[in-house]
Amino acid sequence: MLRTLKEAILGFTRAKTMSFFAILATGFSLLVLGLFSLALLNLNALIRYLENKVEIVVYLRDNADPGQVGLALEDLSKLEGVRQVRYVSKQEALENFRADLGPDSDLLQDLETNPVPASFNITMRPGYRDTLHVKSVADKAQALTFVEEVDYGREWLRRIDIFKHVVNVVGATTGALLGLVAIILISSAIKIAVFSRQKEIFIMKIVGATNNYIRRSFLLEGFLKGAIGGLLAAGMIYAVSEILSRKIMPITSFSDRYYLYTLLAGALMGLVGSWISLGRYLRRI
Amino acid sequence: MTMIEFHNVSAGYSRNSRVLEGISFNIDKGEFVFLTGPSGSGKSTLLKLIYHELIPQTGEVTVADFSSKKIKKRRVPYLRRKLGIVFQDFALLENRTAAENVSFALEVTRASRSFIRTRLAMVFTRLGLAGKENCFPHELSGGEQQRVAIARALVGEPYILIADEPTGNLDPAISMDILRLMIEINTLGTAVLLATHNYSLLKGKDDFRRLHLSAGRLVYDGPNGNFAPVPED
Repeated sequence: MLRTLKEAILGFTRAKTMSFFAILATGFSLLVLGLFSLALLNLNALIRYLENKVEIVVYLRDNADPGQVGLALEDLSKLEGVRQVRYVSKQEALENFRADLGPDSDLLQDLETNPVPASFNITMRPGYRDTLHVKSVADKAQALTFVEEVDYGREWLRRIDIFKHVVNVVGATTGALLGLVAIILISSAIKIAVFSRQKEIFIMKIVGATNNYIRRSFLLEGFLKGAIGGLLAAGMIYAVSEILSRKIMPITSFSDRYYLYTLLAGALMGLVGSWISLGRYLRRI
Repeated sequence: MTMIEFHNVSAGYSRNSRVLEGISFNIDKGEFVFLTGPSGSGKSTLLKLIYHELIPQTGEVTVADFSSKKIKKRRVPYLRRKLGIVFQDFALLENRTAAENVSFALEVTRASRSFIRTRLAMVFTRLGLAGKENCFPHELSGGEQQRVAIARALVGEPYILIADEPTGNLDPAISMDILRLMIEINTLGTAVLLATHNYSLLKGKDDFRRLHLSAGRLVYDGPNGNFAPVPED
């Protein structure tokens, strides 16, 4: 094993240009993929943030029967996707209104009656904060006799829906495309590296090296190169993410685990790429 | 004791083209044999059959205990460890020193470090390469490079040294040196099969056995001194 490791390390110090190219191809591909994922991560965080603001406000008539209101609250709570239905009394609504007005709240001093309606404030569970589910709940609420009006920011919600859809479609296709390009780039780099060492493989075979022996040293070398490429990519993604966060705007960063995955992805690509490229030479006797 | 046996062997690189046809001969332990014939007569192909880079289409090649009919693919490396192979272009790795090129052949067999060191010193001395251990191939002359290649072939103590045009890239004086070296190796017990179309090497070697190929057929097997040139060559 130690000898194989030595052979692998010597292998890539000897074929410097080819090793450099393979490492660079791996590093660059994973960097592009990583930066793309970072953008996607932040777009999704933005979508979640926007969706968190989704709320259905059901304004109740002043003459609503408290018994009916209580039953309706329970019924609405049981609807699919509803997280919470909170009853806001006229009194509480007025307090909120007053707080919103701030220094201008004096305006409300002279009121004889409370003009602010009571309401149900309905929040949805994650995954149900889209037009389809929100509208279904809003429609059910609207159908109640004691409901004056339902407000759920229809236009706002529609825009979030479209945005989310665009992000998903563009993200998936671009991601798949970038992944494919990465695989092609890395495997060609490895193929060239193996090709440039055909003579070495030939000599190894002539002096009686078994296919396993040859494979081991090349695979270990591919693994190490891939891991170095992955490490480079991880370092650069981290740097970009830190610089953006500190100098430009706060962004959602990857968890530490992502960097480990990048490193492992590089190593795995190096390993698998070498395995495939070698196969051709080893099958021949 | 028979070291190499060809029994009615035909071979080629595809089904409809045969390079060799109906070849039969034996080489015994410790023999020195010239394999001659013009370019394209099938010398290299015959050697490939010995080290099993090529499998006969018909017939059987037996090398020591290994038969082309029975050998499993994964056993081929073990057969090759018993052969020392030398090529016209030396086949040295440019980015390794002479010593590394030679020890490489033992490393792949998982020999111990101390064994490799001992064998290396022995073979470098024997081939007159002492002091050249740390030179890279480009720092050596052609003759020296071929000596390194021969050292690599001999370091594993093979039954037979197989040389494919070993002097093809060398000038006449150096070529004779290499031939003398091979004869010397042979006197120490290793069989040698030397393929060449450089007939000046055979001058004065009347007692040596010669196999002559012409258009893929073995047309002569006997002492060099009795060889009569084949008209179509």
